[in-house]
Amino acid sequence: MKIRKKARYVDPDLCNACEECVKVCPVVKPDEYQMGLSSRKAIYIPFPQAVPCSYILNMDDCLGNNPIACGKCAEVCDKQAINYDDEDEIITREIGSIIVAIGLDVYDPTEMDEYGYTRFENVITSMEFERLICAGGPTAGHFVRPSDQQRPKRIGFIQCVGSRNPKIGRPYCSNICCMNTIKDTLLLADHYPDMENVVFYQDIRSFGKSFEDMFQRSREAGTRYIRGLPGDVREDPNTRNLTVTVENTTKGKLEHHELDMLVLSVGVVPPKDLAKISGMLTLSKTSDGFFMESHPKLKPVDAPTRGVYFAGFCESPKDIKDSVCQAGAASSRSGALLNAGQIQIEAITSRIDETACKKCGLCAAVCPYGAIVWKKGEAAVVIEAACAGCGACGATCLFGAITMRHFTDDQLMAQVRATLGENPQDKVFCFACNWCSYAGGDMAGISRMKYPTTNRVVRTMCSARVSEEMVLEAFRCGAPIVLVSGCHYADCHYINANRQTVKRVQNLWNKLEKAGVRPERLQLEWISAAEGQKFAKVMYQLEEMRQAVTMEEIEHARQALKPKPKKAAKKKAEAAVAS
Amino acid sequence: MAATKETFRCMLCGHEYQESVEKGEDKERSCPKCRSNSIRHLKKKSSTKE
Repeated sequence: MKIRKKARYVDPDLCNACEECVKVCPVVKPDEYQMGLSSRKAIYIPFPQAVPCSYILNMDDCLGNNPIACGKCAEVCDKQAINYDDEDEIITREIGSIIVAIGLDVYDPTEMDEYGYTRFENVITSMEFERLICAGGPTAGHFVRPSDQQRPKRIGFIQCVGSRNPKIGRPYCSNICCMNTIKDTLLLADHYPDMENVVFYQDIRSFGKSFEDMFQRSREAGTRYIRGLPGDVREDPNTRNLTVTVENTTKGKLEHHELDMLVLSVGVVPPKDLAKISGMLTLSKTSDGFFMESHPKLKPVDAPTRGVYFAGFCESPKDIKDSVCQAGAASSRSGALLNAGQIQIEAITSRIDETACKKCGLCAAVCPYGAIVWKKGEAAVVIEAACAGCGACGATCLFGAITMRHFTDDQLMAQVRATLGENPQDKVFCFACNWCSYAGGDMAGISRMKYPTTNRVVRTMCSARVSEEMVLEAFRCGAPIVLVSGCHYADCHYINANRQTVKRVQNLWNKLEKAGVRPERLQLEWISAAEGQKFAKVMYQLEEMRQAVTMEEIEHARQALKPKPKKAAKKKAEAAVAS
Repeated sequence: MAATKETFRCMLCGHEYQESVEKGEDKERSCPKCRSNSIRHLKKKSSTKE
């Protein structure tokens, strides 16, 4: 692993944080840590608790070091700690495990114009509130409103700003905002007992140890909780007070509240570097944009990539306590892996026949784990320790150069032919993935659900293992209906291998249509292990479809999908690779 | 990212509908009518040269 250690331009071993450099620095910039509510210099300590406690020089803000345009900080530094020639350092380390704990970003409420965050000075976010109420903040903990630096008497909090709102693409609950607001109201009630606090909410989610008690304390301290999110905020240009219009859904009437200040309880969003880390470590994301864990119940801290673990917000919104728990679990999992001294790998992995490999690299492109190494002009190589055995590569290889141990092409084809050997017209043929769809069928069985007895299931580890040839072979064997089923997108046990299934089925629909075969005869369904009911329902639907397929259609498919002569097929495959 | 309106057809019930699609989006699709996942993306046919 290569780690970039950014240049500080100040030697932390020499710097004694005397602050002389800050006094002479002529550059003034908004202080990011104080949410821009105060300023910093180009040379500064990022935040009071920073370790090591020494200054750093922000070269983007500095007046220039090449040529040196200012140099005042270096002139006053007795310790000669400032080094304008400092450079980023690349550190190389051999590591056995990685814990991803890259945190979160806060939602930017500028797009929610109805709350007037960009228009009214006295509308602030909960992060800005934190800085204002903090003893180490820009006002030394004296809570004042930005427009006139006077202490406000009436404060409103709006919950779920950037959370639970599908319209802005943030349908998830940010988990921490309710309790953060409750904590803020208690702080205000403690510091300023005469202050009126109003919270506008849609639900208060105070689950967790002692959280409900904290909520009750906030109410007892005088905070009013009004169920309903404001639709409009206006400012009185003379007093700079804000009028909030809200439908109180408990009372069922429209209310207007005049407030001195409004705090937007902003939600959290995945960190902006998440996509970069995701690419480096071949991690996948949930629909919310956070990292997806290996299994939501059984492996909640493991990434789908072996040896990688999650801690904190990057996996899902959670509070400090849960983040600490997850970090502990992640370090334990990591320690167990490293202390074992050896790792066990799945028996089901890919193997590439170098002599048959045409060096096209398609297999490497579809591998969700980055377990196939390919260089142009060289045969692909599988890193067996990284291969999880989804089989996407085997189904993609046009030259039969990849063998999936225990799920070889020959084995699966033999299952297809054997299943449809007798009376194929009476069968609904299904490919089901091991983890979800097959387990969904099991669930239907153990739940004693009724479904037609005409279905025949062939199990693969992942739906991505089902190649076009296997589906076509089922039709050639006389299958009236073929179903390819796998995990839901969020549940794919092989990161995102089932996206290859979608592409393949789309191709097959086009191919079938071109060959004059009704494409509807090929179906695709995502069935989870818990969806026994869906499995049964799909089987009824497919049975109904099967009964509508005529013998002429089956025969036509047999003829139309006959494999082409080998040479022509080979040429076509090579042309596909070239394109 | 710019979204385009694309046409989809449910291969189970035959329902055809339009939905906005963002480039590179990763979304599980299901038929708004019957909830089936057999959703075929009907690509626009490119104009043929005369």
